[in-house]
Amino acid sequence: MDKLSKEEVLHVADLARIYVSDEEIENYKIELKQLLSDVEKIKDVKGYDDEILISPTDSFLTPREDVEKDTVEFNDIKKNIPNTFGNFVEVPVMINE
Amino acid sequence: MSKYLSLSIKEINELLKTKKIKPIDLVNEAFEEIESNKDLNCFITLDKENAYNKARELENKEVDNILFGIPIAIKDNIITKHLKTTCASKMLENFVPIYDATVIEKINSKNMIIIGKTNMDEFAMGSTSQTSYFGPPTNPWNKNMIAGGSSGGSASCISARLVPFALGSDTGGSIRQPASYCGIVGMKPTYGRVSRYGLVAFASSLDQIGPMTTNVYNNALLLNAIVGFDEHDLTSVERKEEDFTRLIGEDIKGMKIAVPNFFLSDIISKEIKENVEKIIELLKENGATVDYVDIKYLDNAVNLYQIIAMGEASSNLARFDGIKFGYSYENPENLEDLYRKSRAIGFGKEVKRRIMVGSYLLSGENATTYYNKALSIRDDMRKSFKDTFQNYDLIIGPTTTSTAYNLGEGLDDPRQTFMDDILVIPVNMAGLPGLNIPIGFSKKHLPIGLHIIGDSFEEAKMYKLASFIEGKLNLELNPLKEVAK
Repeated sequence: MDKLSKEEVLHVADLARIYVSDEEIENYKIELKQLLSDVEKIKDVKGYDDEILISPTDSFLTPREDVEKDTVEFNDIKKNIPNTFGNFVEVPVMINE
Repeated sequence: MSKYLSLSIKEINELLKTKKIKPIDLVNEAFEEIESNKDLNCFITLDKENAYNKARELENKEVDNILFGIPIAIKDNIITKHLKTTCASKMLENFVPIYDATVIEKINSKNMIIIGKTNMDEFAMGSTSQTSYFGPPTNPWNKNMIAGGSSGGSASCISARLVPFALGSDTGGSIRQPASYCGIVGMKPTYGRVSRYGLVAFASSLDQIGPMTTNVYNNALLLNAIVGFDEHDLTSVERKEEDFTRLIGEDIKGMKIAVPNFFLSDIISKEIKENVEKIIELLKENGATVDYVDIKYLDNAVNLYQIIAMGEASSNLARFDGIKFGYSYENPENLEDLYRKSRAIGFGKEVKRRIMVGSYLLSGENATTYYNKALSIRDDMRKSFKDTFQNYDLIIGPTTTSTAYNLGEGLDDPRQTFMDDILVIPVNMAGLPGLNIPIGFSKKHLPIGLHIIGDSFEEAKMYKLASFIEGKLNLELNPLKEVAK
């Protein structure tokens, strides 16, 4: 069966910033190849205009007035933060080797 | 137990107005129904406390609109203030939004009562709801079968009459396909008709929120409630207010209907084709003209969708990095490790596959080779639809190529989930409105759906045709009554 190489899977996972285990790599070799083979079919499509679809509606976008507004309260935001210190967000220590 | 929720919306409204029942009676009934149908696994989160509080609060208010006091279920990718919104993912298992989506504000302004958040495919990626981190919802017509997806929980709870109204979202058929499998009415409105503000983004140029109900009239009522321009969503469109029920009941004589040849090709199961052909005959007998037409690139729609949806998803889901939202890996070696492992553990298989392929498709030269080319073909496909609407009022065809199938089927093939939506995807590509209505049953007594496609902003015309067919067929669409027979 047609497969991606291990290096190709790792390249794609790298672009997606997703860790993949050795076991997963074996599955992805086949599954990603199947999907990529599907999208390759678009290369055979001919006869279309070069114009690209920017928006699926005919309407122009209506920009809103550029006015500063308070939309959410910081106390509400804090509810989804596991650890806070006063109004600061506590994050794990990250020191790259 | 009283069965008010199986009455028509007008009857319920009258009972509420005349104080013969209170909103709390409807809420009680909904939760009792949900409790006795737990095996359908329709809901991820129930919101009993707020639902009862709201019902009590409404007792002192005037019944000022037809949706007042009516329970509604919300797909779990539409954010609800202070009510957990998981997108059926481990990534957002404990995510509690701090604001309401615009559609939720609109639902609240009508004083509808939110019962809970419905099960779905993880981040709406799938066609069976089997990618849900919380296990799949099942189909009330056969509980060993899929409800469809990604709005499978919403479709299943409407079909089983647990609640009368639900919201779903549709990126590549995710309202219409489960509506077809479960025998209910589901509308994907015109792109821009309904604000996407607060809908967790999957593929932004395709996503649209829409109503899922037991019948056409209710569907139009719920659409009335949720449409409108929203300054928070610049792709939403400013339109004059209209009543989507206004053409319901009108004669269809003189309507011009088109059927794309591709929609009745050999990819469609024989019994579905026969059912659709019966509808074509019915329409002709009642004064409509029906012609077969060709629309360009329908056979390429799945590949276009794969490129556009996976590409946009990879960009939209980049925000889930273990820091800004949701699950965060606990013992990272460094920041990069935190990103990669949070995403590896927080996302399920289907989502990861799509993000990976999408990231590849948008990387470097590939963005031109694939994404830009897909947008060009998409533009041509949209023009071909628009040309058809120069001569026809509506387009019809089957919603799906087959009826619902067994849970567990197709999980090993990453392409299956896209192929399930082959007939509904083109509508998202063209930004058009699409509606599913039930038109019959297979030999195994599983629902078959008709897909009605309108030109942009022609939802009222679609409801006109749908209600005509609904009235003529008068099908028994309550699966529980069918079981009791």
